[in-house]
Amino acid sequence: MVTKSEEDQLNRLETQVDNGGGGAWEYLCLVRKLKVRRPDKVLKHGLAILNDFKKRSALGTEEWTLCEQVAIAAMDCHSLDVAKDCIEVLRKRFPDSKRVGRLEGMLLEAKGLWAEAEKAYSNFLEDNPFDQVIHKRRAAVAKAQGNISTAIEYLNKYLDTFMADHDAWRELAEIYISLQMYKQAAFCYEELILSQPTNPLYHLAYADVLYTIGGLENLQAAKKYYASTINLTGGKNRRALFGVCLCTSAIGQLSKGRNKDDKDSPELQSLAVAALEKDYKQRAPNKLPLLTSALKSLRVSS
Amino acid sequence: MGSGELRYEIAQNAYIKLVLHALKHKTAAVNGILLGRHSDRGDAVEVLDAVPLFHSHLGLLPNLEISLLLIEEYYGSKGMSIVGYFHANERYDDTELGGVARNIGDHIFRYFPQAAVLLLDNKKLEALSNGKDRSPVMQLYTRDSSKNWKLVSSDGSNRLITKEPTANVVLLDYMSSGKWQDVVDFDDHLDDISRDWLNPDLFK
Repeated sequence: MVTKSEEDQLNRLETQVDNGGGGAWEYLCLVRKLKVRRPDKVLKHGLAILNDFKKRSALGTEEWTLCEQVAIAAMDCHSLDVAKDCIEVLRKRFPDSKRVGRLEGMLLEAKGLWAEAEKAYSNFLEDNPFDQVIHKRRAAVAKAQGNISTAIEYLNKYLDTFMADHDAWRELAEIYISLQMYKQAAFCYEELILSQPTNPLYHLAYADVLYTIGGLENLQAAKKYYASTINLTGGKNRRALFGVCLCTSAIGQLSKGRNKDDKDSPELQSLAVAALEKDYKQRAPNKLPLLTSALKSLRVSS
Repeated sequence: MGSGELRYEIAQNAYIKLVLHALKHKTAAVNGILLGRHSDRGDAVEVLDAVPLFHSHLGLLPNLEISLLLIEEYYGSKGMSIVGYFHANERYDDTELGGVARNIGDHIFRYFPQAAVLLLDNKKLEALSNGKDRSPVMQLYTRDSSKNWKLVSSDGSNRLITKEPTANVVLLDYMSSGKWQDVVDFDDHLDDISRDWLNPDLFK
């Protein structure tokens, strides 16, 4: 997950490199640091450095890091020959390396040789039962073959041991959401919020899931988590602002006729609406009338 | 007469927009909304435009509800309704219409009983560069009498066609120039509202 400013910085660099303005190595380092997936650019610019003897030698020992990065990007782009070459170079340089072994496993995956990849990873895990990357690759192999329930099983087992792996929790949550297993997804986000309570994106995702499950209690909880997202993002997160409006409307519909136990502050709703209208007025004025009438149709039921 | 022999005719720009959106997010599932109306003769549904929706968390309701609200507001005033739904699966060889797509399709069906669900056909998309096929790189699903979404076989009947016969040629052209970079979906809009989900300048 990257912040907007990090993404902007990355895009600026990418445009610069694309247009021949240099900075390729800086770009590649940033991609590695932010762990984003831009395989076509990495392949193009990384390969350009690797194929240029001068540039390559200037990297010193970083040459191998670049080799690994390009190998993975090549597999992502299905340039399997490039990947194979990079991996062979790395294998020659580091003959006993487990890290290179992982890449070899990934190449089997990229070729669609699932049984071989699975075998390679199982062997790996026998010697290194705590290799987190390999555990996750096994889940990836299952997912790629469409064995989603196996992937879920692997991830759950993995998380029993490595419960601090946020990426794994997020991946599991997303798999659950794609299968409409919302309660299980909610559990994942609860774990994430427990371990990183100041990360607004987890509050937001949790609120979205609660809203999707529905029911008065979940809607009220969702509204609280949209509110905490707004708090943590200084009111800048539009999805949370919309979320508040949706919750208020839905809660209103469900509580019609019941005793309105309204500890709910109506100010939150009107503040959210005001914040959205101000934002649209400033940055998307042509959409403002659309927004206003859409919000009005939501407010009708509250 | 249900959706029995109804034809679905999709305008080139709508068609291309949806495919480009899928190409922009190759590693994710994406979806979109189809806008249009009945044809004058009543024998077809004309899909005149499409709005790309999301490339993450397709199964969650809040953003979907917001997007549908805004889309209905806008297109209602232009005399168009929501006439269908487009979905592209995350994996290349996943040819199934999943639960999320079916549920969203059901919701749209309630308001437009001749609604169509279109699923991106990855194999057809890959074969596009052979240049021969004029049929859309999508599979058509309609609701049958037992309330299930059923695949409409593309053998023989041309129940899903692009309005302009050269749509695939234009699509290929855009693909080779990397046009997908310019597609804005609702996710992008929610991240930065200055980005317009109507994509007004996409084909200019």
